Amino acid sequence: MRSGRLWMFWLAAAVLAGAFVFAGAGLDFGYVIPKRLVRLAAIAVGGVCVALSAIVFQTLAGNRILTPAILGYEAVYLLWQSLLLLLLGTEGLAALGVGGNFAVSIALMLGYSWALQRWLLRSGANDVYLLLLLGLVLTMVIGTFTQFVQLRISPGEFAVFQGLSHASFNRARPETLALSALAVAAVCLAARRSLPVLDVLALGREQALSLGVDHARQVRRHLALIAVLVAVSTSLIGPTAFLGIFVAHIAYALAGSSRHRATLPLGCAVAIAIFLAAQLLVEHAFNYQTTVSILVNLVCGAYFLALVVRGRGTA
Amino acid sequence: MPVRLLFLFIALCGASLLIGARQLTWPLPADAWLTLTASRLPRLVALVLTGVGLSVCGVILQHIVRNKFVEPGTSGGLDAAKLGILVSLTVLPATGTAGRMLFALVFCFAASLLYVAIIRRIRFRNTVLVPVVGLMYGSVLSAVAEFYAWRHNILQSMQGWLLGDFSRVVQGHYEILYVIVPVVALAYLYAHRFTVLGMGEDMAASLGLGYAATAAVGLVLVAVTVSATVIAVGAIPFVGLVVPQLVALRRGDNLGRTLPIVAFGGAALLLACDILGRLLMYPFEVPIGLTAGGVGGALFLVLILRGLR
Repeated sequence: MRSGRLWMFWLAAAVLAGAFVFAGAGLDFGYVIPKRLVRLAAIAVGGVCVALSAIVFQTLAGNRILTPAILGYEAVYLLWQSLLLLLLGTEGLAALGVGGNFAVSIALMLGYSWALQRWLLRSGANDVYLLLLLGLVLTMVIGTFTQFVQLRISPGEFAVFQGLSHASFNRARPETLALSALAVAAVCLAARRSLPVLDVLALGREQALSLGVDHARQVRRHLALIAVLVAVSTSLIGPTAFLGIFVAHIAYALAGSSRHRATLPLGCAVAIAIFLAAQLLVEHAFNYQTTVSILVNLVCGAYFLALVVRGRGTA
Repeated sequence: MPVRLLFLFIALCGASLLIGARQLTWPLPADAWLTLTASRLPRLVALVLTGVGLSVCGVILQHIVRNKFVEPGTSGGLDAAKLGILVSLTVLPATGTAGRMLFALVFCFAASLLYVAIIRRIRFRNTVLVPVVGLMYGSVLSAVAEFYAWRHNILQSMQGWLLGDFSRVVQGHYEILYVIVPVVALAYLYAHRFTVLGMGEDMAASLGLGYAATAAVGLVLVAVTVSATVIAVGAIPFVGLVVPQLVALRRGDNLGRTLPIVAFGGAALLLACDILGRLLMYPFEVPIGLTAGGVGGALFLVLILRGLR
């Protein structure tokens, strides 16, 4: 592993972080800088979640054009937010508070993931592709319901919903951040112990089985970890859709090795750097005329298209 | 043509005419004719045309891509049509329905062409990935649309176009749907070619069929139908997905024979979903996008889970 590149990327992320915290702040340690530090922490936690979940999911699926976002977690999150606004209105949102909404969103997404896997197990199949198909259909169904609710809420509430449905780092509060950081740290510890297992899983089911890895059990376990990561990142910063594919590909290209010990940390650095760059661009170049998530979706979407158009390989 | 389906279709047509906020009693009062001709009949025609168009569209697309999970909603066609309408609204705000439809058509056709090109270049290990790539491709297109809509502040109304709703259909507001009639006629004329197309490029070539030209014709038909339905009634998910699957389970893939069944099946499913939507919160309506999403989604899940066993 070329650790020089990893350090370069962390350095770039650190420089961007410095620019993000201090640009135009006038060293105002009373208000501006603490606020920005909270957002920086949200970016760090969100970036780690996105990178880890995408890379581990691509390993499990044996496929490099996928991201866990298409399993329907984000659809569940959006439906819940719009339902909340329809049923309780903005007062209800205020009464629930940022922390309450965060906790309920996480619980719902984890419940969805649990139900999906449970159902899959009971039907006797244990296959990432089947999970994808079910996620796809459920995303479409849930998406229609969300659209309906969105039409019913008033334009003022829709503006609030818009804020919630786009990735943004302004929602994070110190207490939710602390909770998410704890959850992510726990997942990271678990993932650290299973780094060699992940390398074996990347070889495919047959190879993994012949090397003595309980494939079905490990896939289930890692899917659960991914569910936690996606739930945390979606409730903390909102849907990020494509970013995972983009981050994973840059990490694979830069790491020069497909071992997870190299790609996972590099992916985290890349994700954080991208978030910081997007946030800086929105704040300083676009002057809030667009949002981080639209910008990220455009760039990463274009990259995704280029990837599938250019690469004639298998998928 | 199964007789049962025909009877079901006729019964559903009758029910669709009779159900509504204004109760029709026998003998018909004098002003009932106005309700019938201005609202109920146009709605019935629009429903049947849309159902026929969407299911035929789905089956053509599935033969071109050779994948059973593809429909305009999972191949980026819908999102492209949305983007086209958005562009026409902001660039040429004065343009009428025909102008908007032209924009939607061009965008939808270009997007479908690109999608088919992408799909043909990749060797897929699993059939599920074809619609997954389509869905992601669609969300790239809608990211572009959102970027655009955010700046013009029309994001909420943009959601409105995409939810299928027949309550707007009255005399004078649905006639654009009649373009589906020639589309379906052409599809029927080309049915055998599409069947051959579904056997793969090599087979098609050895049977003397120009693959690219036939696929392009199919995509034009799909683009016309999708843009007309999106403009007149909005998007309706799963009709193009479920009906061809159900028909293919029983009757196979020979389009020359199954196309009429697919068409009537699509119309019947849409009529049933619409009647359900009108009865759920009587005398108000649930948009058909919602009922079709629920009913179609449930049917599709049942199909998948049955396929597992």
